[in-house]
Amino acid sequence: MMGEIRTQEFIVNMGPHHPSTHGVCRLMLTMDGEKVMKVEPYIGYLHRALEKICENRTYHQCIPILDRFEYVTAMSCNYTFALAAEKLAQIEVPERAEYLRVIMLELNRIASHLIFFGTTAMDLGALTPFLYALREREYIMDLFEMTCGQRLTYNYIRIGGVAKDIPAEFVPQCREAIKIIGKKVPEYEGLLNENPIWKARTIGVGVLPPELAVAYAASGPILRASGVKYDLRRDDPYSIYDKFEFDIPTRPNGDVFDRYILRLEEIKQSIRIIGQALEGLPEGDIKAKVPLKFKPPAGEVYSRIENSRGELGVYILSDGTDKPVRVKTRGGSYNHLQLIPEIGTDCLIADLVAIFASFDVIMPEVDR
Amino acid sequence: MNFAPVIAVGELQPVFAWLYGLLQSIGLEGTLLTVVMYAGLGGTVFGVLCVLALFLVWWERKIAGHIQQRFGPMRNGWHGWYQTLADAVKLLQKEDVLVDTRDRPVFFWAPVIGFVAAFAAYVVMPFGKGLIVADLNIGILYIMAVTTFTVISLLMAGWGSNNKYALLGGMRSAAQVVSYEVPMVVSILTVILYTGSLSMVDIVESQSGLFFNWFIFRIPFGPIAFITYITAATAEANRTPFDIPEAEQELVAGFNVEYSGMKFAMFFLAEFINMFTVSAIAVTLFLGGWQGLSFLPSWLWFLGKTLMVVLLLMLFRWTYPRLRVDQLMEFAWKILVPITFANLIIAGWFKWAGWYW
Amino acid sequence: MTTEQLKDYIASRFPVMMTLLETGRREPMYEVKAGQLLEVCRALRDDETLKFNYLCNIGAVDTQERLEIVYSIASVPNRLRLDFKVVLPREGASIESVQEIWPAANWYEREMWELYGVDVKAHDNLKRFLLPDDWDKGHPMRKDWDDPDFVRFPEIE
Repeated sequence: MMGEIRTQEFIVNMGPHHPSTHGVCRLMLTMDGEKVMKVEPYIGYLHRALEKICENRTYHQCIPILDRFEYVTAMSCNYTFALAAEKLAQIEVPERAEYLRVIMLELNRIASHLIFFGTTAMDLGALTPFLYALREREYIMDLFEMTCGQRLTYNYIRIGGVAKDIPAEFVPQCREAIKIIGKKVPEYEGLLNENPIWKARTIGVGVLPPELAVAYAASGPILRASGVKYDLRRDDPYSIYDKFEFDIPTRPNGDVFDRYILRLEEIKQSIRIIGQALEGLPEGDIKAKVPLKFKPPAGEVYSRIENSRGELGVYILSDGTDKPVRVKTRGGSYNHLQLIPEIGTDCLIADLVAIFASFDVIMPEVDR
Repeated sequence: MNFAPVIAVGELQPVFAWLYGLLQSIGLEGTLLTVVMYAGLGGTVFGVLCVLALFLVWWERKIAGHIQQRFGPMRNGWHGWYQTLADAVKLLQKEDVLVDTRDRPVFFWAPVIGFVAAFAAYVVMPFGKGLIVADLNIGILYIMAVTTFTVISLLMAGWGSNNKYALLGGMRSAAQVVSYEVPMVVSILTVILYTGSLSMVDIVESQSGLFFNWFIFRIPFGPIAFITYITAATAEANRTPFDIPEAEQELVAGFNVEYSGMKFAMFFLAEFINMFTVSAIAVTLFLGGWQGLSFLPSWLWFLGKTLMVVLLLMLFRWTYPRLRVDQLMEFAWKILVPITFANLIIAGWFKWAGWYW
Repeated sequence: MTTEQLKDYIASRFPVMMTLLETGRREPMYEVKAGQLLEVCRALRDDETLKFNYLCNIGAVDTQERLEIVYSIASVPNRLRLDFKVVLPREGASIESVQEIWPAANWYEREMWELYGVDVKAHDNLKRFLLPDDWDKGHPMRKDWDDPDFVRFPEIE
């Protein structure tokens, strides 16, 4: 006898090894055919206990550990920790060091956004932009390699300044690089912005309303793409960002397309900042006097900066010894991944991939 | 020389005549002789197509490389010319990883059916003047029928793997191929209307002369029929932007996620053969088939034109993002089907009124 | 609103519930009683002049004598930032969930439950997520946690 024919929801394990989960994230999908009814993220596959390791190291030794915290923009991890330590010990950083830091941070932001551009296009099926984006990123990697010898984990920004001065050919080569990238971004836009398939796949997909974004503490480009004009470079100023002229782009709709456009806009703004910083780069020291056995006075501080994935925060509790009692890191992706169950349900699996890509989640930042 | 009525092999006739004589001299005759001759012919076509598929894989990698500002394979031979050969040998000797929970017969036969279906179309494909295995009078209908077997193979692969991603891929491909079959066939009908014959040879013969006798220019709104055909054909061959059955970013690899070694290679080769098939049909129907100026042999014209259409499909793949599954269906039923039907009706009206040459 | 103004406003608005701490020299750091946490949080979020609607971070700290839960919050409309902490005993630490005020707290609270063993009341999804599902070796972020595989970094001179 034939049983009753009915449809059945089934569970798909997306990850930990899946091409579009950007690392080792696992999403448990409850699906009805192509439709995603429920998403549940499982994390922890990259948990390396960075915070615990930091508790057993001196302040200087923490910086290379935090390189691994968010390796796509390792400069900003270096910087956040250095900023927190400087706040604790009230160290005055020389002006040239601040300029170098801003240049490096913004270069790193561009590099990160270029990766976002490439991977998002790849997740939506366009394989070619990824190679283009990496080609331009190479100019920035060359600059970093020239400065600190590393291409991914830099350990360049130190407590009280930067590790070493830039070589003489850095400034002309950096000018050349930002000029090339500035020319290429309109090319990217020409490749995808008006492409009907791209628009069909991104516009109106994964809409994140501003209230939800703020409630879940989304930050950075994702918050601004939802129309909330909140950029820590302006609204909680750090370093010397108040000296530069730049716009904070926002987008009204908060869908995948807006998040993509916004990041391309941010690349242009970063190019503006780097141009001004190269122009005003003063001579002088690159590092304040910080003892090797650095002992900040007892106290605690939470420092946060705007990196390419949103708010990057470091909380340090010091008891006056040369090792921090507690280092707590906070990455933007941690909160953005929490949002996936909120806006990733009731859509098709292809949309979920697009949403995940548009959040630009990287897993080491989530698992730490 | 009484074998000519049995097999017409065009410019290759001397070779086959020699072979025929040889076989006769060792005492073969009658039906057995005919069977052996056909087997030899089939083997030749199969061999040529396998070499062609290997070439297409290499070519695609080179094109992708150059679009993406890199070189593609460069190590093995001049510009890596035997790279795919090496890959094929590697795949041949790889371990065949099998899932315990697979549906054994279904899992085993899926790649075989896909492979056979891909090659079966070439029975009636006119490679050149007289170069055809069998000139069936229902040629194009036969091709349409046989190539649709591909979808059965994909469905079997999806079901037999006992994997949710594979199943989703199989279901997607079934939906997609069935949907895009409609605009594809209707586009072809526009041409059939003007030839009055389903035979591939007749279709090519009626486009003789210079390029303005090709159906793309001759029949009213031929370019529209050509474009709709190419669009539907891209979907038939599961190429980007319609490659959702194997969308690697969503379904990992779709229907062939559990396949490895030679079985995977069969799917892979079948995919490239399919791409060549749909391009060859486009050339035969719209671009004059093997017709061309006489300074080159006819099969070279056919090959050249087909490779140009293949190039077009490859350029699509490396330029466009992928459509979503619902948008894909929408595009087929809401845009392509109405356009092709309108085109068919208009073409029929023009034919009735005699406004064509 | 500058930091000084913020301090004054907090002092007048929450004279009893929030105490300014000595450790917060660089940026104001307050202490809140565990029992009043939800009340204070709700007031901080709903107060018209403050509007702390954005949760930056929640981190637990083990000082070997006690556990501290540090909340870093911000106000998007008013561009403010504020830290406060709740002090808990080391044994049987338990705290109210602030999810209903800031939904973002969900994973942070899960994390401190998992790594520090702080029981979070009224949390909707207390499940392991950073550690393996079958983890039974205690709470690794606590200072006294030890394991044969855990080797402390040697002192440098």
